[in-house]
Amino acid sequence: MGFLLHALRRSKPLLRSHLPHPPSNALRWISSSAALHGPASSLDPAPVDPPPKAPVGGARVHIPNPEDAIEVFVDGYPVKIPKGMTVLQACELAGVDIPRFCYHSRLSIAGNCRMCLVEVEKSPKPVASCAMPALPGMKIKTNTPVAKKAREGVMEFLLMNHPLDCPICDQGGECDLQDQSMAFGADRGRFTEMKRSVVDKNLGPLVKTVMTRCIQCTRCVRFATEIAGVQDLGILGRGSGEEIGTYVEKLMTSELSGNVIDICPVGALTSKPFAFKARNWELKGTETIDVTDAVGSNIRIDSRGPEVMRIVPRLNEDINEEWISDKTRFCYDGLKRQRLNDPMIRGPDGRFKAVTWRDALAVVAEVAHQVKREEIVGISGKLSDAESMMALKDFLNKMGSDNVACEGNGVSPNADLRPNYLLNTNIAGLENADAFLLVGTQPRVEAPMVNARIRKTVRATQAKVAYIGPPTDFNYDHQHLGTGPSTLLEIAEGRHAFCSTLKSAKNPVIIVGAGIFEREDKDAILSVVETIAKLNNVVRSDWNGLNVLLLNAAQAAALDLGLVSNPNESIQSAKFLYLMGADDVNLEKLPDDAFVVYQGHHGDKSVYRANVILPSSAFSEKEGTYENTEGCSQWTVPAVPTVGDARDDWKIIRALSEVAGFCLPYDTLTGVRARIKTVAPNLLNVDDREPSTVTLDMKPSCGQQMSPEPFRAAVENFYMTDSISRASKIMAQCSSILSKK
Amino acid sequence: MAHAALKTVKVPPNSASLEEARKRTIDFFKLACRSLPSVMEIYNLDDVVTVSQLRSTISAEIRKNAHITNPKVIDLLLFKATEELSNVVTHSKQRHHLIGQYVVGSGLIQDTGAKDQGISDFLKQFYTSNYF
Repeated sequence: MGFLLHALRRSKPLLRSHLPHPPSNALRWISSSAALHGPASSLDPAPVDPPPKAPVGGARVHIPNPEDAIEVFVDGYPVKIPKGMTVLQACELAGVDIPRFCYHSRLSIAGNCRMCLVEVEKSPKPVASCAMPALPGMKIKTNTPVAKKAREGVMEFLLMNHPLDCPICDQGGECDLQDQSMAFGADRGRFTEMKRSVVDKNLGPLVKTVMTRCIQCTRCVRFATEIAGVQDLGILGRGSGEEIGTYVEKLMTSELSGNVIDICPVGALTSKPFAFKARNWELKGTETIDVTDAVGSNIRIDSRGPEVMRIVPRLNEDINEEWISDKTRFCYDGLKRQRLNDPMIRGPDGRFKAVTWRDALAVVAEVAHQVKREEIVGISGKLSDAESMMALKDFLNKMGSDNVACEGNGVSPNADLRPNYLLNTNIAGLENADAFLLVGTQPRVEAPMVNARIRKTVRATQAKVAYIGPPTDFNYDHQHLGTGPSTLLEIAEGRHAFCSTLKSAKNPVIIVGAGIFEREDKDAILSVVETIAKLNNVVRSDWNGLNVLLLNAAQAAALDLGLVSNPNESIQSAKFLYLMGADDVNLEKLPDDAFVVYQGHHGDKSVYRANVILPSSAFSEKEGTYENTEGCSQWTVPAVPTVGDARDDWKIIRALSEVAGFCLPYDTLTGVRARIKTVAPNLLNVDDREPSTVTLDMKPSCGQQMSPEPFRAAVENFYMTDSISRASKIMAQCSSILSKK
Repeated sequence: MAHAALKTVKVPPNSASLEEARKRTIDFFKLACRSLPSVMEIYNLDDVVTVSQLRSTISAEIRKNAHITNPKVIDLLLFKATEELSNVVTHSKQRHHLIGQYVVGSGLIQDTGAKDQGISDFLKQFYTSNYF
């Protein structure tokens, strides 16, 4: 739409000149935009020279050396830009938005759509601004008849073979071609032959293709090869026979494949699950964050009424840039299936019976009073927010039990020093690294956005990547050093060939996977890693390259809040087990007479053992704080109402505490956050990353022995890791089709 | 017959005093109680509720406004009550309306009032909805 507005604004002085003078107020430019009805758009005589505009999107550019700056003129206004920028970027800094199809700031330059043609003084032809480097003193004209004519011609060529099926196209309303043909296209075409048609390709269960609509911008091809790192897409044929496709019949197997939907400027690649479900102008967007992994990607949930219709990425340069993983994008149909909507009690016949909240809480409170204090155990799940974990810990502590843990954090995690469990380099900081050592982690499935950063670094600077863990498939060059702790020991003792790379690296990075937390000898492994870090100068005052990559959204906040008991041990003697969305805990050792309360939003694994079910709201329905793996806390925002009789997690625990007679002292979300402030104030610094200040030397030495057992994969199936994605039909299709060995 | 009496319902002049308003309220309660047997018959309520339960529901509805002392407000509430009653006895409602409003609806919550004694506002709101 931006283009349309620009065009309207630009065309106004022109239009006005054709109007009879003085202009009558009855004749008004018809536009739905409120901005155009402002005082500036009334038919007063326009100023001759509009003042210079602010850069597009409020962009700022930092020029490190003043002598590297050059000056160009865009539409007569001088603008200072660093050397090496293209004409298009210079125009953007000058506040002029150039229409484009093939150019994308995060992809390599193709220069094949020709939409960005501008006139440059002393050049014989219009130049493609996206591919032309700006030269000192260049006089760029974006609004001359030549440039306009060129754009109109390009539009006419593009529309020649583009089907006129906007009314049934899922891109309709957010289509670049639609917007730009409105803004820059001619009002008629001269083409009378048949339009070409192209056979649709099958790219798998996520991406729907209508290849006739393709305008061969090759953004998807460049995305697949450059960002996703799979050589699946390519261009075949020449001229009018040109097609995008997988060379042989093949599915697109990448964990980032959904992003081609966003970068496709037309409706050639659209979302298969979203096909024909809604039009984009009916949707309500809610800016929130993702909880399917520990990265906390920024997303927008588009909902219609009480239903989540789709999830799209939001720009955050520090975390996910503008991409999200397929699990984040397509897990949303899990929010509609297998939901718990009523409090339920398991009767003597083993069947659940729906009851009122009053009855359910009374039963739970009664049982809680009958057991001994040490037999009370609470475990929070992968998707729990900080508020509910705080409430759970406070409630169980008030009952006299200290057995509160978060699943995935392993036995007695060391939460005393924050750098011990965070990605200290931070996600954006990984771009400065020049050597990576991945220990027992496969970021491609554990945190695809972190993997995309590593790949970006490897592509840009040829950084070396070494990996210790089970054999797996990376999408960048790497050395597989070994499978177990013995290799780690070799590096620590300086006997390994990789040591020299690590030593000579300026900014080395070690990433330890959170899968290690589940091992018995995790303290020994971590101390060996710290030895390596010390030997190779990984942690310095200006660079902290020792990282832990967490797996789940709840982990970091749980460690900050001190949910650090030993669930494996306490479960064996538990008589009252409170599972707050914990589905992946091993309940085999739980005594048969234990009373299990399951509080959660999905009827997942743990429900089979539960005696009472308390339905809670999912991340799309509540306001909660989540801390991502680099220690940045972010809020989710409710997009849709809760399902059935469900309640927010912290409210359930607060209500239960009152029924049980151990009333928690907070009644509102602000109250809970005030309590969090006394425990972990960093969780309240939303959208901010609190760097940790303590050093490694403060950590006590560890006398544990490493076992030679090789590392295991932390994530078995990328597409199904938590209760939401396990309930999702699309994720099930993906794992059956794409994860096939 | 109650039915016939209600057909001639008119808006009476305002009550002059609280005393008069009180008398009118009691008259309305008696009128409502007298119409209950026909209500039971019209809506086939014998298997879900008894006359005495309905009577206590009506009195509970009236007692909900016991704190009001302005005769004008009482008159208005009485007018609304009379209208509701006439809707009920003229069969302008359906069976599930009555059951929902007077049998399992507010009537039951009134009954459990004793149980909710001494619990916090938070818990009271928690039992009704997630949004507060």
